[in-house]
Parts: sequence; structure tokens; C-alpha cells
Amino acid sequence: MTVTPYSPPTPGQQLSAMLAEIQLRVLNISRYPGQLAMEIIIPIVFASMPILLGQATSGEQAAANFAANTGTANYVAYLLIGSNVFNIVSVCFGIIARWLRFEQETGTLESIYLTPTSSLTLLSGVAVYSWFRGIVPALVSYIIGCWVFGVNPFEGNLLLALAFILAGLLPLLGVAAIFGAIILKVKESNALIGLMQWVLSFLMGIFFPVAVLPPFLRFLAFLFPPTWMTNGVRSALLGIGFFFGEWYLDFAVLWTFALLAPAFGFWLFRRVEGGIQRNEGVGQF
Amino acid sequence: MHGQVLIENLAKTYLTKQRQGLFKATEKKVEALKGVSLDIQPGEIFGLLGPNGAGKTTLIKCLTTLLLPTSGRAVINGYELTQQANAIRATTGCMLMGERGLYWKLTGRENLVFFGALYHLSPADRKKRANAIIERLNLGDLADRAVESYSSGQKMKLAFAKALINDAPLLILDEPTNTLDVPSAHELRAVVRELNREGRTVIYTTHIMAEAETLCDRVAIVDHGQVLALGAVDELKASLGREAVIRIEGVISAKASQAVQDLPGVKQAVTAAINGHSQLTVVAQNQAATLPRVIETLAAYKAVMQKITPEEVTLEDVFIARTGRTLADDTRVK
Repeated sequence: MTVTPYSPPTPGQQLSAMLAEIQLRVLNISRYPGQLAMEIIIPIVFASMPILLGQATSGEQAAANFAANTGTANYVAYLLIGSNVFNIVSVCFGIIARWLRFEQETGTLESIYLTPTSSLTLLSGVAVYSWFRGIVPALVSYIIGCWVFGVNPFEGNLLLALAFILAGLLPLLGVAAIFGAIILKVKESNALIGLMQWVLSFLMGIFFPVAVLPPFLRFLAFLFPPTWMTNGVRSALLGIGFFFGEWYLDFAVLWTFALLAPAFGFWLFRRVEGGIQRNEGVGQF
Repeated sequence: MHGQVLIENLAKTYLTKQRQGLFKATEKKVEALKGVSLDIQPGEIFGLLGPNGAGKTTLIKCLTTLLLPTSGRAVINGYELTQQANAIRATTGCMLMGERGLYWKLTGRENLVFFGALYHLSPADRKKRANAIIERLNLGDLADRAVESYSSGQKMKLAFAKALINDAPLLILDEPTNTLDVPSAHELRAVVRELNREGRTVIYTTHIMAEAETLCDRVAIVDHGQVLALGAVDELKASLGREAVIRIEGVISAKASQAVQDLPGVKQAVTAAINGHSQLTVVAQNQAATLPRVIETLAAYKAVMQKITPEEVTLEDVFIARTGRTLADDTRVK
């Protein structure tokens, strides 16, 4: 039999395929400009509700009451940070699941599985795209939100806050891959993503410090990387205090998650993918 | 000597859920492929024929690594199916799922360039290759429009273009003329012949028997997950021997059809609905002796006979002779 020459892709070719996936996502979202506008507006609206409720119930004492429980009187920035970090987490957490489900339904998932590019390369491309998709609107939204409510968005250690966001994205990649594997198996995304987003927003404490949670829920919250990410950003910008007192200790916890979660997520994804190929195939929806 | 695609005893069993009421479901095994063996030679156009649900697409999905077979083996372009999936993907051009395999929000050119990247072409080569395919398939007017604005046939054409992006020596095309109009289907078949003349091996699935007759060097007729007949088109037709085919159009009841089937000398009698009429296809051993008996029987059952045509043997007749079934009215060639 004649053997057709083939050489495995070089790291450069794999990177190029990943960049093509990012470019595809950017081209695709550019055809939906309204979606990006929504992602800037929603976190402001989301944070506005507790901000205005706080002002309505506590009046001029709102800032003082808030400071007594959270460590900062800047409740506007506190809530805007919560809603915007939640927006980043929400985009990054659900994007792989949404991507898989969407491509399954449109038929393009089989098309990309016909190519020699590894699904993990494409999955990484989608994840990197989601980082930009989450961070850029969140930054714009935070600045606009602060401007609307008349607070300074640039107080505190901005670089450290950004470092916490970036460090939190890596474990999210693992969590997203785990969730993607579940979606690949159960073939249902909207209900599961919707449910998980509510659980996520609750556990990461978008509107309150996790210290006020009952002990068991607080324990669960500490197992979840976005909790450390949100508190890290708030501590860096508003000085509310890191969980372990020093920024580098909280940072180390996030990096531990960053080392473990993607490895486990990718392993699980591969296992589920293999199981599906042995039965009905990735394209069946 | 083995060919470009060697398949040995390939089997595929699925587990599906049988829903029973609101919450109850039981698992059921479906044998989609039951030990298929084929040896496809380099440079041939090989047709996989069969009705919907015959197992053609499952076989194609196994060969393109989308599904793992339950047992058996296959070697494609020199690579083991279950061990070297990436090598097979890189050296095979596939058109599956027709228009569903495209990104509709992107333009045709953007689709081709993207898939070029997934086949690890350099950025310059992706663009060059996409331009060459666009020119070859006369897609110039469409290339920079979003795919969502294409007609169904235009999307199929782009899906075919996508199969050519990696310039592979083996093309696997799953019902590529579905939804194409007559001239476009003709044009696509001409391109397939041209690609074959350039040295590419083509596996072409279709349920349109006449299409396979005009295009394929060899065909395998597949039904219920098994290869029922395999060979060159002329060989398969000759395999019916002296048997003749008579087609009768009109209003023919199931009882009348059964009565014809029971006549001595009749091998198969199958009725299909064609353009609102019944068409009875009779495969008989001796046309001269059988035809008067068939007409007599149909008249006795008050069948209305509008047209009686003794015909040359076609691949569809081979299919009927092997399966006892017809492919119904959607099998006409475009």
C-alpha cells in the first residue's frame, strides 16, 4: 500500500491553528455588535440594583454600614468589581460549553473534528478568545460604571488586580473544560449554564463578602477559584484584606488551582470525547 | 497488493435510548455496520450506494475517524484507523453533512482560509489554496458574501470546496449533489471526474443509482450495514444474467403487486410511488414468457396500466434484485 506522507504538526502550526480559531471567534462576534454592547451595559445594571437598594435602605449611612461589614466604604466600586469579575468568569466558564453545543447544533463540530487539529488546541483558542471577550468589556464597564456613580475607578493597585484576574483565568480554563465535557455528554447547555451561573455568582460573593456565608457554603466557596479571584481584585483595589493576609499567599492558592484544574479538565474532556467517539459520535445532538 | 483504503470486517454497534413515557428509557443496541470489507484502489472512483439508513454514513464516519469502529480494522492512505487518526485526517479531504459543516456568519473565503489553518497550511498557502479553489469552482461572485446569504446549492458547493482545501489524495464525498440543481450537480460531477483524472481516489456515497452508474468505476451496494454487492457497474448489471426488467406505471394495488410476485418466473416485483403514480418493477427470468402473464394478472386485479416499458438493466435493478426493495422516487438522477 502506498503511504501518503504525513508529518505531525509543529508547535508553530498548532499555535497558528489556535490563532485561526481566535480569529474566527472575533470575526463571528464582529457580526453581532449588539452583543458586545450588552456585555458592557449588563454588569452596570446588575450592580446598580444593590447599589440603589443600599442607598434606599441606609441613606447617608450606606457607606458606613457597608464598611463595617466589608472593610471598605466604597460600596459602588465593591459591587461593580463583583459584577464585572462575575461577567469575566461567566464568559470564560460557559464559553467552551456554549461553543461545543453551538457547533454541535450547526454541524461545524464534525467539520473541525475531520481536521488534524487537536480539539484541545481549538478549545484553548476558544478559551483565550473568551479571556479577551471577558476582560475588555469588563474593564470598559467598570470604568463607565464608576463614572456613572461618581467614584474613582483607578484607586488601589491596578497591576495587582490585573494579575489576580489573569491568574484566575487559568483555573477557569480547567473548570470550563470540565463543564464542556459534561455538555458534550449530556447535550444540553442552556439550563445547565444558567443554573451554574447562579451557583457561581452566589459562591464567589459578587455582592457580599464570603465571610458572611454559613461555614459549609464558605468552605465550598473557598474550593472555587473565582472566589479567590474576586477577593484578590477587591483587596488590590479597595484594600479589604486578602484571605491569607498577604497578596502572595492568595496568589499562590490561585496558582495551585491553575496547575491542577486545566490538567484535570483536559484529561476529563479527552476521556469523554473518546467515549463519545466509541458510541454515537461528537456530532450527534 | 492492497489499495488506498483497505477495510476488513468493520463493525459498528451503537447504544441508543428507547424512550418509554416521561422518565423511563431503556438502552438498545443498533448494529449499523455488520462486518464490512472493501479494498479501494488508488485512482478509482468508488461508489457506496444504498438507501437512507443503510449504513453508508456510519461507514464514512468510521473512515474519517469521527466514529471508532466496534471491531475490525481499516488502513487508509497507509495509516491504521484506530492508531493514526491524525495522519488519516491530514491526508483525506471530506465532505460530510453538506451545508451544515460551514460557518454561516463568515464569508465563503473566510471559511476556506479557516479550515486551511486547521489543516496546518501556512497563512500564505491558505489564501493561495482558497483562491485557487474559488476560481476552479466558479465561486468568485459568492466568495466574499456571508454564507447565510447563499442558496442551499451554493452552500453545498462551498462545502465541496472545503473538502479540497488540504489538496488530499483521497476524497470522501457523502451525497455531494444533495440539494444541487441539475446544472450544478452536473458541474460538480464533472469536477469530481477532473480531480480523479488528476490522480485522486474518490469515495462517493449516493442513493442516486443513476449518478453512480455515470460516475463510479466500482460500486458497493450497502443495506442493513452489509455489502450486498460489489464490483464494476457493468459486472453488477451483468450479474443479473438473463433476467429482464419490466416497468409498469399506473394504479397498481398492493394485492396486484403481490400476485405478480407470486407468478412463476418472477424473481422480484416491487412497487414504488413515482410522481403520484405506482411504478411496478418486475425482475423476471424470461421477459417474453413473463410479460403476458404479468399483464393478465394485473388486469385480473383491476390495475390501471398506463405505460409498460421493458428496460435495460440498471444499478437500481441490481439493488432491487439483491434487497427486494426499491429506492423510491427520490432516486432519480438530477
